[in-house]
Amino acid sequence: MVQRIEVFTVSEDGRAKTLEAQFKKSGKNLESVRVVDVYTIEEGIQDQGRLNACLQSFTNPVTQKAFVLEDGQAPANDYIETVGDFDWALEIGFLPGVTDNIGHTATELTALTLGRDKTLYSSQVILLKGSLSEEDVKEVAAELHNPLIQRAANKNKDQFLADGGMDAVVPRVVLDNKGSAVDEVNLNVSDEDLITIGREGIENADGSRRGPLGMSLLYMQAVQEHYKKEGRNPTDVELETLAQTWSEHCKHTIFASPIDEVKSGLYKHYIKRATSEIREARGSDDFCISVFSDNAGGIIFDDNWMITDKVETHNSPSALDPFGGAITGIVGVNRDCLGFGQGAKPALNRYGFCLADPRKDLEYYRGKNKMNPTLSPDTIMKGVVAGVEAGGNQSGIPTPQGFLYFDDRYVGKPLVFAGTVGVIPREINGKPAHEKSAQPGDRIIMVGGKVGRDGIHGATFSSVALDEGSPATAVQIGDPITQKKLSDAIIKDIRDLGLYSAVTDNGAGGLASSVGEMAEGSGGFELALDQVPLKYPGMQPWEIWISESQERMTMAVPPENVDKIIELFAKRGSEAWDIGEFTDSGRAVLTWHGDNVMDMSMAFLHDGVPETPLSTTFTRGGEEEPDLPEPNDYAEELYAMMGRLNICSKEFVSAQYDHNVQGSAVLGPIQGKGRICAEATVSRPVLESKAGAVLSQGLAPRYSDIDTREMAMAALDSAVRHAIAAGGDIDHLALLDNICWCSSDEPERLGQLKRAMEAIYDMAVHYRTPFISGKDSMFNDFKGYDADNNPVTISVPPTLLISGIGVIDNVAKAVSLDTKQAGDLVYLLGETKDELGASEYYDRHGKLGSNVPETDTALNYKLYQALSKANKQQLCASAMAVGFGGLGITLAKKSVASGLGMDIQVESDLRLDKLLFSESQGRVVVTIAPQDKDAFETAMGDYPHVAQIGTVTDAFSLKINNVEADLKKLEEAYKETLKDY
Amino acid sequence: MTAKALVITGYGLNSEEETAKGFEYAGFDASIRHINDLAENPKELNDVQAISVPGGFSYGDDTGSGNAMAQKMRLTIGDALKEFVARDTLTIGICNGCQVVVNLGLAPACDSQYGVRQVAVTHNASARYQCRWVDLGVQETNSPWLAGVKSLHVPVAHGEGRFMMDDDTLKVLQDNKQVALRYTKDGTPANGEFPYNPNGSTDDIAGITDETGRVLVLMPHPERGMFTWQRDDYAALKDAARRNGQTLPDESDGLRLFQNAAEYFGINAMKKAS
Repeated sequence: MVQRIEVFTVSEDGRAKTLEAQFKKSGKNLESVRVVDVYTIEEGIQDQGRLNACLQSFTNPVTQKAFVLEDGQAPANDYIETVGDFDWALEIGFLPGVTDNIGHTATELTALTLGRDKTLYSSQVILLKGSLSEEDVKEVAAELHNPLIQRAANKNKDQFLADGGMDAVVPRVVLDNKGSAVDEVNLNVSDEDLITIGREGIENADGSRRGPLGMSLLYMQAVQEHYKKEGRNPTDVELETLAQTWSEHCKHTIFASPIDEVKSGLYKHYIKRATSEIREARGSDDFCISVFSDNAGGIIFDDNWMITDKVETHNSPSALDPFGGAITGIVGVNRDCLGFGQGAKPALNRYGFCLADPRKDLEYYRGKNKMNPTLSPDTIMKGVVAGVEAGGNQSGIPTPQGFLYFDDRYVGKPLVFAGTVGVIPREINGKPAHEKSAQPGDRIIMVGGKVGRDGIHGATFSSVALDEGSPATAVQIGDPITQKKLSDAIIKDIRDLGLYSAVTDNGAGGLASSVGEMAEGSGGFELALDQVPLKYPGMQPWEIWISESQERMTMAVPPENVDKIIELFAKRGSEAWDIGEFTDSGRAVLTWHGDNVMDMSMAFLHDGVPETPLSTTFTRGGEEEPDLPEPNDYAEELYAMMGRLNICSKEFVSAQYDHNVQGSAVLGPIQGKGRICAEATVSRPVLESKAGAVLSQGLAPRYSDIDTREMAMAALDSAVRHAIAAGGDIDHLALLDNICWCSSDEPERLGQLKRAMEAIYDMAVHYRTPFISGKDSMFNDFKGYDADNNPVTISVPPTLLISGIGVIDNVAKAVSLDTKQAGDLVYLLGETKDELGASEYYDRHGKLGSNVPETDTALNYKLYQALSKANKQQLCASAMAVGFGGLGITLAKKSVASGLGMDIQVESDLRLDKLLFSESQGRVVVTIAPQDKDAFETAMGDYPHVAQIGTVTDAFSLKINNVEADLKKLEEAYKETLKDY
Repeated sequence: MTAKALVITGYGLNSEEETAKGFEYAGFDASIRHINDLAENPKELNDVQAISVPGGFSYGDDTGSGNAMAQKMRLTIGDALKEFVARDTLTIGICNGCQVVVNLGLAPACDSQYGVRQVAVTHNASARYQCRWVDLGVQETNSPWLAGVKSLHVPVAHGEGRFMMDDDTLKVLQDNKQVALRYTKDGTPANGEFPYNPNGSTDDIAGITDETGRVLVLMPHPERGMFTWQRDDYAALKDAARRNGQTLPDESDGLRLFQNAAEYFGINAMKKAS
């Protein structure tokens, strides 16, 4: 019989108070809120003693009271008493098949306590007291749950009491499969039919289709051709596998395709070539160890350690379920770290969110007639922030470095970047730790979680309505604790025993991708799909193979080590399964209860994808330079600029992300007494080593509206500049590229892309900063309808994120952004030009302009070399690169950070507003102790633009020429904008 | 000869390495032990002088922070832990470890009722995770962990750090001098003011002890504030020292707790003797 365990908090509850405040703020006539934690057991625990033993792990008797409700029986009087006075009860639980981490823990606890398995499901009842209509309650429910993954039910008090509480709901997955079967797919059909299969998927017996393969006619014809030669039709497993393996997501076909005169494609010609040329030029000073070939890139950290980095995007899932998308993003990229070489320890997380203004009500729909609305910018922001919070914090990985960037064109497709830096000894057991290869005869071991329908055909899921019994397959929620157990077992207990030949993560494409890639090392594989453990019965073979269920790694293990490794995982509460063998047969073979359901040549699987030559066009964007009236009150202009979304404080995010765990923080995300958000952080990820990791990021999406070349250069220059300002060394700095484009099937968009890639090739080679890893996401477009039912397409501005990872030999060389002492000299390094095109200042005044900042690579390189030299001698008391908002904002932030004013006199031909707010690249503001003046100027060498522009003062104001701004007001403006989040 | 310290880990506890580092730096022979290994051999505790349940996110804080891990420990090493704290040993529960030890009832254990939950450490008043540096005032306490320490500048990082208890229990804790650490603002009581008291904790409580003072539980992280370079004001301290031609000391406040533990067992004397 179904049992509900309901846990009431009888003392003050921070969660309830916060909800209360939230609903009152949104105008609900509400007196109070209470939160009840519910655990539903399908087959209840009848023995009172055993039940009590379980209850103590669900309840804290000091503040809580638990009740057990049997389905169909009237609750006890003291339950009714404890429920007490309320008007509405609202219950939110998960839909079948959705990852329920609390339920998972409760299940594990019950097994531990009782010694036998029972499945528990978690939900929450919210008791609302107030004068609320059912409509109000539904609005509250809408704020609290996402119908893609959760159910909501409500009852008024009378109904609740009449029924004896909320209804017991067991979200068990029931798959309506008429026996698992493998179908042959007839490809001896017309091109029209091939197009239909590619676009809508394989046809089921009942005429319905399984969902898109995303294969073009060209691809389908290549498959048709191949199987003609084989003299048979493909099975559904084979076709699904090809679709997955050849997808843009896995093969990055746009970057690999010939484009105009660039026959080897953008990736090889610009990104990879830049790195190989830099490595060659550096010769014995090359610090790259493993680039582009593994789940992350790896560079030298010190004599004993290597440091790795990888940044991923998780955009589409985050549009549907921001929390699930973001947590899966961060926990997923942690696995890229674990899957580097023999396994790197996750040491630092980074994040980035490109979002629409959360204060705006932007109304869009995926379907006609107001069907399937997009989530509000506010909901998306809160969700993605919470997702990385849960994923990063629960994993025990510090998350110091990140950004939020706002532009309303991210409304339908937020960009969610998640990155993980890892550390790994350079050698393990005398062998280079970055090397690995599956050997013929190795067993295929899957470790971590079981397989469900998660992520199958995920991208196309958004428009499908969910019914009660169907698992929400597209939206996944990461389970950080399952992964933490797995991660600790690999890194802390198993890796150094030398029991496996190779390890990789199971991410996009699931087993199809991880096993397929690893098998390139051995030359083939044979895997028994019926041996893969499932979350629930009834899955089809092809689903098992391409499922993207999270928290899984794949290992290649010599047969003699298999029992040992499975036992070691078991000791750490992780499960591992032997599901097949790596071979050298040249074939990719899958079996299902002994029958071959896939038998394909490895060569066709990996190299059979046809080339699609691309061609491009390019037109520069931008408008005329505006003729803005000069501000009559510059101080007010500064305050207004400080409060702009892309300039203001994001402390509410940084303070929620644990940046001190592992004890490695040196310069954190919030700096100075005035708590200013830093653009770069410094950490000491290996406690035994004094060396530091400098993390930075750079992007400038709005510049794409004028020229993607300058957008890309500004992104790269910013990432480098921020890192050097924080104490970095231009001679030990690597880069990662994340390209988030839109409409990448249009020649004009491809032209913008090519231009951007040309630019970053040139810059990286000049700065000698190699790319070590990257990722692209090519179709960030929203297609739907506005509130008036007009069809709209909203494309994100072409966005390049460059992440910097630098190494310094001693964290004592780190430089913070806050000024240190009155009397210190303020220097502006770099040239301020009339470059306000696409700037924050023009945007504030509703203009785009034309003069987008142009980056002078040769000149800037001189500056970064000189500043690196100064850093080595610890000559800068403080430093901050000039970014969005320009010089005025940088001076203001530095002053607010320390609470010390400045007295600045800058000479320039520019009108003061242009001087203050120009976003010219290649500029850094530093402060220097007077006794270091000569040494500093010597270190600057022949770099020409070194200007002492003033001094730090102990006044509480920022004076620039004849303008005087109050530090308190600057600080308030900076902190006001997002203070309620 | 030295004393042995054991730091327990597993199931999402995550600060074992830096906590073990603190013990080791102070002179202990420190090991990290997975709870499942300790469950197989609880007798190992007989041979140990100090243990820590470190910070982390055991079981993802599901069913209430520390609650699930407390159940796991209760069922596997519960008796061994009670025997351990009854001996002349030292125990420290930090952050998630604090929540676990409190749920196990090893602190505050008023009236020597070890095993009975007497206080709760629950959701922050803001219902939001907070990672920031705080100032702590050490109260009048008999805890060896805090001997000679007046204040601590260390970070917190938690979503459920609010000590709650009924008024009678609070009075007992106050009267028995079991409230060891309080959040302060400029050296005076924080009086619940955010962010000085980061979680709305009753009576600004940041840490409590059992009656003997040998079991200390605290929400802030001394192990993340052991060295000067870890401090939030490091850049300013470093700059000032350089100007004045001084060398910045390596050690910071958090280390004092581990050094006090070493002192309690006379580790330095032992080392000198051997």
